[in-house]
Amino acid sequence: MDDDTLNRILKMKNMVFENLMESYLPFPIDKKYYSSWTDKLPKDGDTVIYTSYMYQISGILKRYEKLFPKISNINVPKRLMGLSKFLIKPGESEIKRSFSIMNNIVNILQKNHINFGYLYDDEPYSGAILLESGFLKEFMEYGNKLNDFFKSRGIKRIITLDPHTTNALKRLKTMINFDIDVKNYIELINFNGSGEYVIHDSCLYSRAMDMYGLIRDKINKSGIKINENYLTTSKDMGTCCGGPLSLISVNDSDEIAKLRSEKLLKINNNVLVMCPLCYQNLSPHVENIKDLAEVIS
Amino acid sequence: MNYEWNVSIDKAILNNAPNVNKILEDNPYIKETAKELRSKKLDVLGNIDFYIDKTEESVKRSGGNFHFAKDSSEAMEIVKGIIKNNKNIVLSKSNVLYEIKLREELSKLGKDVWETDLGEYLVQINNDMPSHLIAPAIHLSKERISKLLNENLDKSINENTSVEDMVKAVRKFLMEKYLASEVGITGANAISADTGSVLLIENEGNIRMDTVLPGIHIAITGIDKIVPTLKDAFNEVIVQASYAGFYPPTYINVTSGPSATGDIELQKVSPATGPREFHLIVIDNGRKEAINSDLRESLLCIRCGRCYFSCPAYKYYGKDFGDSPYTGPTGIMWSAVTAKKYDKSLLCMHSGGCKEVCPMDINIPEMIEKIKFRYTDK
Ligand code: SF4
Repeated sequence: MDDDTLNRILKMKNMVFENLMESYLPFPIDKKYYSSWTDKLPKDGDTVIYTSYMYQISGILKRYEKLFPKISNINVPKRLMGLSKFLIKPGESEIKRSFSIMNNIVNILQKNHINFGYLYDDEPYSGAILLESGFLKEFMEYGNKLNDFFKSRGIKRIITLDPHTTNALKRLKTMINFDIDVKNYIELINFNGSGEYVIHDSCLYSRAMDMYGLIRDKINKSGIKINENYLTTSKDMGTCCGGPLSLISVNDSDEIAKLRSEKLLKINNNVLVMCPLCYQNLSPHVENIKDLAEVIS
Repeated sequence: MNYEWNVSIDKAILNNAPNVNKILEDNPYIKETAKELRSKKLDVLGNIDFYIDKTEESVKRSGGNFHFAKDSSEAMEIVKGIIKNNKNIVLSKSNVLYEIKLREELSKLGKDVWETDLGEYLVQINNDMPSHLIAPAIHLSKERISKLLNENLDKSINENTSVEDMVKAVRKFLMEKYLASEVGITGANAISADTGSVLLIENEGNIRMDTVLPGIHIAITGIDKIVPTLKDAFNEVIVQASYAGFYPPTYINVTSGPSATGDIELQKVSPATGPREFHLIVIDNGRKEAINSDLRESLLCIRCGRCYFSCPAYKYYGKDFGDSPYTGPTGIMWSAVTAKKYDKSLLCMHSGGCKEVCPMDINIPEMIEKIKFRYTDK
C-alpha cells in the first residue's frame, strides 16, 4: 500500500469522523429530501425503523468515494462542503426505487403486526463506514454519541433495513454499553414472493451475522425458487460484491463485482440481493437484478 | 485483471473445495478432532513459556539439541553455528524458512541450497515467492513451468512434455542433491511438548529424504506449532492435511531425536542409519507479543490453506494479497504477527468465508479488522 493511499484513507477518516461528531452524518446530505419517502409513520416511538440513509444514498456513495480524495486534496472548509457543488444527488429513478423499497418494507412489517415510528430528518447515520474501515476507536467514540442520542429519544428497539447498519449496531453491542434491541426487518417478517433467482448473499447478513440459513428458510417458504451452486452461493464459498474495496480502489472494486456477476449469471440470469450496496456494485454487470424488498409482499 | 491467474485460481478451487468437503463428510471425526485441537492450542498459548520449557526438556531427553530464537537473525546465527562448513543443503517446504530468509542467507554464504518440494523448487528456479501455503506454485501454468524447466534443468523439456515427464526430470535432479546433502532443513507441522517430536506431513516423499539422508537434520518452526502431547501433534497433522485436501496424507514423518539403534545387547547407540544430529529451533519473532495482544487467536492457525479459496481478495489479487510467503487471509494475520506489516489488510472486504471454513474457527475477519486498526490508527 503506498503512502498516498494511506494519507487519503487517514484524511477520509478524519473528515468522516469530524462530520459525524458534529452532525451525525458522514458527509453533508439533504436529510429532508432523503427522509421524505414517507409521511405516514409516527414521529419517534420506542420502536423505530432505521434507514441510516443507506438505501437512499447507496447510488451516490461511489461518486462520493471518488470525490473524497479531491475534497481532501483541496482542503475544502467543512462549512463549504454543504454547498450544492459537493451535494451529489441520485437520479430520479434511483431515488424513486429506494423510496419504494422502504415503503414496501414498511407495508410488510405492518402486515406482520409490527408497529414502529420513524425519526425522519433527525435520523443519524450508523457509523458503519468507520467500523468497516477498521477505524475502531472512532467507531466506538461515535457509537457512544449515537447511543446517547437514541437513549435521549427514548428508543428501546431499532428495526434496521440493510446489512451494514445492522452489523454496525450489533457490533456496537459487543464494544460499548449499547443495550438497545436491534432487529433486522428480515428477522421479523414472513412474506410471499414468486420467481426464480440466484441469491447473491450479503456477506454481513449471511456470514458475519450468521443469517444465511434464516434467509434461505424464509425465501424458500415465500414461494420464490432459488438456484444454488456450492462454489458460488454456499456460506463457505460465496464471496463479496467488491463494494467495501471501493474506498481503496474503485477500479478493483468494479473488477471484483464483474467477476462475481459472471459467476452468478452462470447459475441464473435473475439475481437477488439484500443490500443496497451489493445492488449498486453488481447492477452494472447484471441486467435482471432485484433487491429482496422489491419482489416480496 | 490477470487472466492467467483467474484461470489458475478457479481450477485450484474446483480441485480443492469439493474434495475437502467430501473428506470432512466421509470422516466426521475430523471436525471433532479440530475442535479438540483448538482447545489444546489455546491452552498452549495461555502457557507458552511452560510449554517451550517442556519441549526443550523432551528434545534433550531424546538426544536432540534444542534452541530458542528470539527473532530471524538469532535463528540464522544458530543455523550457521550448526551448519559450519557443510555446503550441500536440502530444504523442505516451510514458511518459517522464508520468514527468516534462510535460503537467501545461506546462498549468500556460498552454500548449495535446494528446495525439494516440487512447487517450491519451481518457485526457486523462477526467483519467485510462493503464492499459497500448501500449493506454492499455483500461480504458474503448465506452459510457464515447461519453459522454466527448459531454461533451468533440461533443454529437452517443452510445452508438449507431459506433467509426468516434467516431474520425472525434477526427481532425477533432486535425487543427486539428496545423496550429496550434508544438512537437511525442514519446518514442522506440529511439535509435541511431551516427547519433543517433530511431525511433518507430505505427499511427495521429499521430506523423508531431507530428514533421513543428511547427517544433520535441523527443524525450524514457530513456537505456535507446539502442542501438549504426541497425540495432539498427530491430531494437528491430520486436521491440517484434511483441510488442505489430502486425506490420508501419503507420509507422516515423526522425528524424535537423532537416529539410534538398540540392536546390540539393547544398548542404545546413536547415530544409526539416519542423521547423527537433530536440532529443533523454535522461533518467537513477534509471536509472544501477539499472544499477549488482541491478535492471540491468529496463532491458532495450522496453515491448512483452506481460507484462501473462500477469499475474494485472494482470488483477485493472488499473492499480492499479503506479503509472501504469508498471503491470503491467514497471511494478513501472519505478516502482522511476524513482521508487523499491516497495510495489505486494507484490501480485505470482510467477506467472511474464511471464518466459515477455518478448522480452528478463527474469527479471521475480526482479526483483520484489528490489523486494519493498527495500520490506520495514526
Ligand atoms: S486461518 Fe484457518 S483456514 Fe486459514 S490457513 Fe489458518 S487454519 Fe487454515
